[in-house]
Amino acid sequence: MRRLFGLLPGPLPARVAIIIVLVAVILVALFFLFEWAGDLLDSGGVVGPGQ
Amino acid sequence: MECDVLQETRPMNRALKASGWIMIGLGVLILLFLGYQLVGTNFLTARSQDQAQQTIEERFVAAQEDIEVVDTLPPPPVDPGTGTIPPEDEVPVVHYGEPAPEQGEGFGVLTIPKIEGEHVLFEGVDRATLKKGPGHMPWTPLPGQPGNAVISGHRTTYGAPFFDLDQLAPGDQILIETALGTHTYEVRTSFIVSPTAVEVTDPKRGAWLTLTTCNPKFSARERLIISAELVDGPNLAYAQADKVFVPADAS
Repeated sequence: MRRLFGLLPGPLPARVAIIIVLVAVILVALFFLFEWAGDLLDSGGVVGPGQ
Repeated sequence: MECDVLQETRPMNRALKASGWIMIGLGVLILLFLGYQLVGTNFLTARSQDQAQQTIEERFVAAQEDIEVVDTLPPPPVDPGTGTIPPEDEVPVVHYGEPAPEQGEGFGVLTIPKIEGEHVLFEGVDRATLKKGPGHMPWTPLPGQPGNAVISGHRTTYGAPFFDLDQLAPGDQILIETALGTHTYEVRTSFIVSPTAVEVTDPKRGAWLTLTTCNPKFSARERLIISAELVDGPNLAYAQADKVFVPADAS
């Protein structure tokens, strides 16, 4: 982790900002991944052509 | 010689170490996923249900003013088998309607005594609405109305309102309270269909309730269908008359 942090460009505040954005992007991506995968567990039980 | 062996095994060790971390990462991801789906989503639904419980009484009171007579029918024959037509002076049976709820609005309370379930019902079966609780298909009649009212709900996530729906058997009761009153249904059949079996939502004579949910548990591969018939409620007499009513122009 430290090595990765060291690889980031710019001064310390810029690196911290990059890390915060990266974490936010990962969390949002995880949320959508979980929502999509959650439909395989339980899609809500609706019956219809698009199910 | 010994050095050569060490140099050869070093990349192998690195690869093993990396794959170990990847496995640990995937394991953590799967645990997070299951935790979110099976536990976290329940909290989201519980909050929505609590909020809806607080406002549902207001909906009942407000909708009382808009309850209206939609239609009347002659009472059903005394003996449907003989087709006895009732006397002209008998009082016609009345179909009471209630105002249609807004999309996503809580409009009723579903109680299933056998599986100890009580949930606020919402209008709509879109993803966002079903996260709040069981949802009513807007293109089907409201519960308590003649026809086939269809309600869908999650089986294992988002509060799992229909987790034990497979335990219902013919004769079990399902109660739905709306602004119009309490509508009591009795389970007639349960069966399993594919997720595209849209015919289960088809209109029916009389007053019916169809509950749909995922099947088996923890899979969306099929749908479990519970079909129940109205046995008590404000529109019972109308529903019974509707079952046997033959329009004059149909003969």
